[in-house]
Amino acid sequence: MKASAKVLFAIIAGLAVLLPFASDDPDGLETVAQNADVEEPEGLWHGLMPDYSIPAIENPYFSTLASGIAGIFLVLIFTFLVGVASTRIARD
Amino acid sequence: MHIPDGFLDPYVCALTYFVSFIFLFWAWRKVKAAYPRSVVPLLAMSSAFVFAAQMLNFPIAYGTSGHLVGGAFLATLLGPHASMLSMTIVLLIQAIFFADGGIFTFGANILNMAIIGALSFYIVKLLSGSSPSQKRFIASIFAASWLSVVLGALLCGIQIGVSPIFASAGGLLVTVPAMLFWHIMIGVGEAAITTSLISQLVRIRPVILERLAILGWDIR
Repeated sequence: MKASAKVLFAIIAGLAVLLPFASDDPDGLETVAQNADVEEPEGLWHGLMPDYSIPAIENPYFSTLASGIAGIFLVLIFTFLVGVASTRIARD
Repeated sequence: MHIPDGFLDPYVCALTYFVSFIFLFWAWRKVKAAYPRSVVPLLAMSSAFVFAAQMLNFPIAYGTSGHLVGGAFLATLLGPHASMLSMTIVLLIQAIFFADGGIFTFGANILNMAIIGALSFYIVKLLSGSSPSQKRFIASIFAASWLSVVLGALLCGIQIGVSPIFASAGGLLVTVPAMLFWHIMIGVGEAAITTSLISQLVRIRPVILERLAILGWDIR
């Protein structure tokens, strides 16, 4: 448990440090779509934290960081539940 | 490489959902049969790590960026079956909460990243042989992680290429080479990050070596 807490702290700290250096450029697929003159259609679903931001937080860095931390915990909780459901306590 | 809603033909969406769920069903059965509860913390932490890493785009060239997918990383660390479940959860959270990757295209995104990612396990096995030196093991991971991105991009290029929205741009003949062009470069980033992650993990936490041994990585 203690080791997991350390790893979690390292992941969040790493994200906080590296986030300002992350590139805003379109990724490979977005570039391909742009070059093909394909507009991303307005989907029906925009997510609860669109574009990795929390609308209530104005500062873009903290908005993205907070949404990232929320996402990290969501992934943790979901994988934990799926992990517990899909594995067995070793019998021997 | 996350395909948004609207890019894919409904038939492509349906087919990729179908194929992906067959693989996920298989993965679930295998995990249920073989994985002990003690692997859950590693499963959860490595998934959370991949989620965070996917937020960090690195510039490639000509105003285009890429980010770690992490499929080969998860497959090496967790084995192919658990890595499929792990990556699928990352993609699910991204689609539901961040609208990063569509809901209808979710099946295609699972196929291109989670299933192809898991394939790297077998590619590493193939390249590294039965009891590789650490050097050969790491070199095999480099090749497999590069290939996982390029293969995922190839599938993605085919999926969008046969979909009507890309037809006027030239369809497959344009989308496949274009996706490959960018991801041959992005894959180098993927390979560099994955190999340094695995070799650092083995160095600072030797217990990882035991975990790898359970998966059949008999590293000399």
